[in-house]
Amino acid sequence: MSNAKERKHAKKMRNQPTNVTLSSGFVADRGGKHHTGGGKPSQAQKQELHSGTSRQRQIKTSPHSLPEPDVNEQSSSKNMFKKKGGWKAGPEGTSQEIPKYLTASTFAQARAAEISAMLKAVTQKSSNSLVFQTLPRHMRRRAMSHNVKRLPRRLQELAKKEAEKAVHQKKEHSKNKCHKARRCHINRTLEFNRRQKKNIWLETHIWYAKRFHMVKKWGYCLGERPTVKSHRACYRAMTHLCLLQDLSYYCCLELKGREEEILKALSQMCSIDTGLTFAAVHCLSGKRQGSLMLYRANKYPREMLGPVTFIWKSERTPGDASGNRQLWIWLHPTLKLAILEEIKTVCLCSEPIKSDVCVPNPLPTPVQEKSHPELADDIVGKKRKRKNDEENAKPVKKIIGDGTRDPCQPRSWVSPTTGIIISDLTMEINRFRLIGPLSQCILTSALKAAPVHTGEEDTEESPHHWWTDTCKNSDSISLHQRQEAVFQLLGGISSPAEIPAGTILGLTVGDPRVNLPQKRCKALPDSERCQDNEKVRQLLLEGVPVECTRSFIWNQDICKSVTENKISDQDLNRMRSELLVPGSQLVLGPHESKIPILLIQQPGKLTGEDRLGWGSGWDVLLPKGWGMAFWIPFIYRGARVGGLKETAVHFQYKRSPNIPGDFPDCLAGVLFADEQAKDLLEKYRRRPPAKRPNYVKLGTLAPFRCPWEQLTQDWESRVQTPEASPIASTPGGEKSDLRRHKVPCAPVPGKIHHSSTEAGISENQLTEPEAMDTGCQDQAGTEKVLEQVATENHVAATSSQLCVLRNRKLLKQLSAWCGPSSGDRRAPCRDQQELTTEACLSILTPFPRALVWVSLSLLRKGSPEPHTMICVPSKEDLFRLSQDHHYHGPQESRHSDPFKSLILKEKEKKKMEKRQNRDTASMGLAVGELTTGQEALTRGLWSGPLPGMTSHCSRVLLGFITQGDFSMAVGCGEALGFVSVTGLLDMLYSQPAATRGLVLLRPPASLQYRFARITIEV
Amino acid sequence: MVRFKHRYLLCELVSDDPRCRLSLDDRMLGGLVRDAIARVHGTFGAAACSVGFAVRYLNAYTGIVLLRCRKDFYQLVWSALPFITYLENKGHRYPCFFNTLHVGGTIRTCQKFLIQYNRRQLLILLQNCTDEGEREAIKKSVCRSCLLEEESAEEELSDSAGEEFAEAVNC
Repeated sequence: MSNAKERKHAKKMRNQPTNVTLSSGFVADRGGKHHTGGGKPSQAQKQELHSGTSRQRQIKTSPHSLPEPDVNEQSSSKNMFKKKGGWKAGPEGTSQEIPKYLTASTFAQARAAEISAMLKAVTQKSSNSLVFQTLPRHMRRRAMSHNVKRLPRRLQELAKKEAEKAVHQKKEHSKNKCHKARRCHINRTLEFNRRQKKNIWLETHIWYAKRFHMVKKWGYCLGERPTVKSHRACYRAMTHLCLLQDLSYYCCLELKGREEEILKALSQMCSIDTGLTFAAVHCLSGKRQGSLMLYRANKYPREMLGPVTFIWKSERTPGDASGNRQLWIWLHPTLKLAILEEIKTVCLCSEPIKSDVCVPNPLPTPVQEKSHPELADDIVGKKRKRKNDEENAKPVKKIIGDGTRDPCQPRSWVSPTTGIIISDLTMEINRFRLIGPLSQCILTSALKAAPVHTGEEDTEESPHHWWTDTCKNSDSISLHQRQEAVFQLLGGISSPAEIPAGTILGLTVGDPRVNLPQKRCKALPDSERCQDNEKVRQLLLEGVPVECTRSFIWNQDICKSVTENKISDQDLNRMRSELLVPGSQLVLGPHESKIPILLIQQPGKLTGEDRLGWGSGWDVLLPKGWGMAFWIPFIYRGARVGGLKETAVHFQYKRSPNIPGDFPDCLAGVLFADEQAKDLLEKYRRRPPAKRPNYVKLGTLAPFRCPWEQLTQDWESRVQTPEASPIASTPGGEKSDLRRHKVPCAPVPGKIHHSSTEAGISENQLTEPEAMDTGCQDQAGTEKVLEQVATENHVAATSSQLCVLRNRKLLKQLSAWCGPSSGDRRAPCRDQQELTTEACLSILTPFPRALVWVSLSLLRKGSPEPHTMICVPSKEDLFRLSQDHHYHGPQESRHSDPFKSLILKEKEKKKMEKRQNRDTASMGLAVGELTTGQEALTRGLWSGPLPGMTSHCSRVLLGFITQGDFSMAVGCGEALGFVSVTGLLDMLYSQPAATRGLVLLRPPASLQYRFARITIEV
Repeated sequence: MVRFKHRYLLCELVSDDPRCRLSLDDRMLGGLVRDAIARVHGTFGAAACSVGFAVRYLNAYTGIVLLRCRKDFYQLVWSALPFITYLENKGHRYPCFFNTLHVGGTIRTCQKFLIQYNRRQLLILLQNCTDEGEREAIKKSVCRSCLLEEESAEEELSDSAGEEFAEAVNC
């Protein structure tokens, strides 16, 4: 009987009386003594355990049916036998217990106990049905289920209890207000504010929540993917039209201080090897946005913190003596904590500044919410809405920005020695990203530069005094006009990729809601704007002039006033409805808001040879509070909106690493991988074993995560010694031969130390390479274990942990080697080295455990997926490929599953124990021990420590893929991932020049290898 | 409704020899009844009654037995019961007989009947009792059965009989 069925049966029978027999000696033992008046011991009226299902039926009343003092009382007056367990002695024993005389009391007690048992059985409901369901049909009435009064009076008590229980079981009823009240604006705002307490909402949250699948990530509520089917449409938007994304969740750190001080502090965190640093000329002038990798101070190339982008505020005057500069560093929220801490230590900023700015009035929501029910009790018949309104006369304010932050928490820190001020501007600035060639058309049509304030009616109180002040200065006006001219020119350029990467343009625009089109339309490039060819050409050549990058958005006070003086949508709509001619243009005049914004060109695909500039676009930075006011106009001009998934797709087509998944050497990346592995494992476990791939049989050791550490370690020990590295006298062919010999014995569980033995072998080869053959492997391995352990310790001491190769020079060299036959096709560059031993060693010595970011494109069929394995093809594979151009690739032979028998054995054992437990009826205890004693094995997954990663399958493992899909741009499968540098060099060295750079890909759930070409793009 | 209809026979096992109760258990009792049916009604009867036959409840102290059988052939079982005169156990034979108290369609009705029956028995016992100590003990148990009922009365149909008994005891 299944467990659930058993339980149901037990529940049904719980009130039913059990059989009462005399046959158990248990009774006598328990009582300590039994009297035999009439052979009817009184306390024997207790339940008794039978085997099987009746075990659970117990009379609850019986134990207390005869209180103990009662028994003693009686027994003292009775003739009784002290002999215990006499009944078990058989007929001979029973003869002693023949009563001398009969007593009626025991008889009566037995009757009474039976009555109580029966009463219980009769009165208590035993079935799972509701009370009214026990009534016969003709006595049932409508609405019985929720109106107790409809039931017969005798059942009303029972039904009342039942109804209470049902209410408790139900979730807490949140709808304490009627629908209309809930939709009322104040209550809605209150509710929204309450819900923003836990996770930060972007300003576009409501818009997103209606159209996207939302996820809670990184402390934010973010749209993951649209609810409509739009994978291809979003790709098209990125390539031909425009895709809009809300990146306001990116964090902004502001550094203020003297330029030299900032540069000196930050230079410890980045290296010139990885590209331009904070001090790059274009960036430092404020003309361009820069991007770089941050490392822990002076720890390059290890301890990566993450990629960031930064912009400097342009200097007001070139020869400014004070040299005070402002720097914004934009980074992903997962990296924020580590980078902020590191910057603080680097800049010696430890003193938090108590800013009065960031202390908003404490939100009155919870108190008022609580007072509502009391009020309702007080005034029952009256309209309580009015009263509430009077009570909170001041309107509830919507949360703008970060709702989760504790107002007392410091947000800026100052350094006493260097004078650098660091402030955390998270959620202070909105960042929208427009991707695609139409993004400039959308920008130019949606945004209009703010009209210059000319009138003399300054006397009247205008909220935008900062703008009127600016307009008094002729310099500022001319600057504004120049900015406007440049902005207008942008509309004539066909793609944002034509503009220099990272160009910054500051602007002050009018309220974009004013000229919102009636209907959603598509902004198309205007040919008339292109007539000014000369100017456009100049712009493209020289970029935006430095002065034009100035914007008031750098000024906190102006931003704050702009946020506060925003005309609400309601007011705007009211004014629009009051227009004399309906539908005509709304003219606000001096009351129109002026919003300082910053436009930053985002470079698209910078690396590689094909599709250069794909996915470029513009980022728009806005002061907070204005998100929706810009969002809707952009959409009304034909932008399609994407979520997190579209961001990932964008990164993939750009062939750039996605944050934080593709940074295995930074903490955020490791956490991300852990989380992903957990999710995937859970998903895998939800399927029945027969309906999911058995990864052990497929030879996939780690289907849900990429064990980089172990991979690099394996490669290191594999190619540790000079002879094992490609330089050695041992040709690669022999080595692969060796591997093939070893592979068949790999899956045996006993050989978990496979890698170690192998390492031992390689060491043995060092001393006597020629004498080595496969026959004496094991012996040699065991002999060399000690030595090998020693060397490993040494290795661990010298090379601490894995790192990702980001040195541009080395990457360039690697990428040149990866290409097929570099000899004649391309003229070798002057600094180009041939693939030789020295060159390899020069790369490998500083980075013994390095990974390198590669992109792969499949030769023929196949679409890779994340966690796909990148393997080294054998000579034979390459040969067959050269013979047959339609050769798909080799197949992995099926592995044996050593865990299956283990699992089966465990199951059998469990079953046996369960059976035993049932017999001994000490179920609960034993089961508890059983479950705690062992950890569960999952069928189809490798358990325990992983054996040697690289040589587990017939082809040697090189790395893993982190992003991969069918590429709609190229028309074949494309993937991005990491490979071990050591392994890559080993492979390249052993491959002939014609087929250099060919690898095999195998998804975790397949046995088929597919050919792919590896490229490193710099 | 769609179900197999049963008949439940509420019987009392009456025996002079108290040792006969010692060996009483459901399996033994079931075998006994089966044997009796086979003896009286032959193979046909035994086969007809074996479907759905079960001992649903057994109390060795009071000798109450609840037998279940299919509605179609309950008369065969019923008629076979008087032919059980001996209880056999390990070579010993104890004379006894079955006294059918009630035939019901559900266990519930049988249980209800049993409550009534037991109460009546207790009252009779009380009236016939002569010894003072005995009388006290019986009173106690009667009270308890009534009190129990009052306790459970909150979730139960009020039973007038219980109060009657309480009055009878008190006076």
